[in-house]
Amino acid sequence: MLKIHDVCKTFKGTKILDHISIEIEKSSIFGLAGPSGSGKSTLLRCIQRLETPDCGLLECNGKTGFMFQDFQLFPHMTVLENLLYATKFLASKDVYGEKSANYLCMARGMLKDLGIEEKEQSYPNSLSGGQKQRVALARSLMINPDILLCDEPTSGLDIATIQDVVQLLRSISETGVTMVIASHDLDFLTKISDRIVLLKKGKIAVDVHVQQQKDPINYLKRYYT
Amino acid sequence: MVGKIIMEKLFTNFTYIGQGIGFMLQLLAGGFAIGTTMGLLLSILRHGKVLAFLVDRFVSIIRGTPLILQLSFIYFSIPSICGVRLGTLAAGIVAFGVNSSAYVSEILRSGIESLPKGQFEAAQTLRIPKYYMWKDIILPQVITNVLPALINEIIALLKETAIIAVIGGMDVMRRSQIVAAEQFEYFAPLCIAGVYYYVLVLLIEFVGRKIEKRRSYAKNS
Repeated sequence: MLKIHDVCKTFKGTKILDHISIEIEKSSIFGLAGPSGSGKSTLLRCIQRLETPDCGLLECNGKTGFMFQDFQLFPHMTVLENLLYATKFLASKDVYGEKSANYLCMARGMLKDLGIEEKEQSYPNSLSGGQKQRVALARSLMINPDILLCDEPTSGLDIATIQDVVQLLRSISETGVTMVIASHDLDFLTKISDRIVLLKKGKIAVDVHVQQQKDPINYLKRYYT
Repeated sequence: MVGKIIMEKLFTNFTYIGQGIGFMLQLLAGGFAIGTTMGLLLSILRHGKVLAFLVDRFVSIIRGTPLILQLSFIYFSIPSICGVRLGTLAAGIVAFGVNSSAYVSEILRSGIESLPKGQFEAAQTLRIPKYYMWKDIILPQVITNVLPALINEIIALLKETAIIAVIGGMDVMRRSQIVAAEQFEYFAPLCIAGVYYYVLVLLIEFVGRKIEKRRSYAKNS
């Protein structure tokens, strides 16, 4: 689904990504762990083409969606407008039949699944952190991505909301969407991911298949320091 | 008797000077229309890479020379260079428009730069085409944020139109000077002109506040 081959990225003389190679399978949930500054976000941004790698190859079979750490909802649009705006530019073959009506149904359905259907006419500034998170997630899914890239989806959320996010991302993954999740929260990552790669100073420190480890959190923690 | 004569004189002066308002408003409207359109274009070009340098020089030159010089240049020296002579109104609109565009582009630039980079990136990740990104995502937010500065610019432009007198335009200020020169009396005509300017500025402020209030969606909701 996604092949990262020998990717490097340097910012002002500092190596952020140092010859990274990873292959990610379709419909899996892939976790990117690592301390701050380890290159997780940069790798995600390279996959999304928000950054251009200095060297290496990125092969991506499918459309990517991106969820920002700070959501980046459009503040001058209501929740529903945030969700629907980008669908104007999608080819109508993405959804059967009448285009706009279907996207409206899809958006409403998604807001309902996320438990924020009563917020569809609200502006982002009136939402709580958890609600913004959900809107951001819904918005990135509206363009029907094959791969969803999430940058720190749990930062600033309380434990109960994190549990909800885990449920949510799981249910999305079950629909066949491949996910790449960058987070420094090992607890969250081990709960959700099939496989976790820990980055340290731009290099892969360890690559773990979560199911095959007895105690993945402690195993990963050893590589943290 | 004397009171009546004074009142009549005042009234005649009032209407004579007031006849310059139409001309002044044409200059303002034309100048501001050119100023905002061109300013918008310049600020977007400046955000790109190719023409940024040229736009930068243009803005620097316009801001670095007096408006009175630019107006005289367009009215007096362009005809001698290329033989095209603009009328007073047209020359005024072009000069005020070009001058204003430099300031408007600076206002918009500061607004664009103060917007989080993530807003551009979010539009990019959602595959929103560039034109629509500017039109529907970036500029609506920028304009809301810089509205007070834009209203300032209209007010400044309104008062700057008085410079049109150097190329013989009969605006409010010029008319008040004519009256003053004829009657050897400066106090009343200048006060009258002042009242006209001030009332117009109050009007612009009022409309500006209304628009500001209507657009402050996300800040208080």
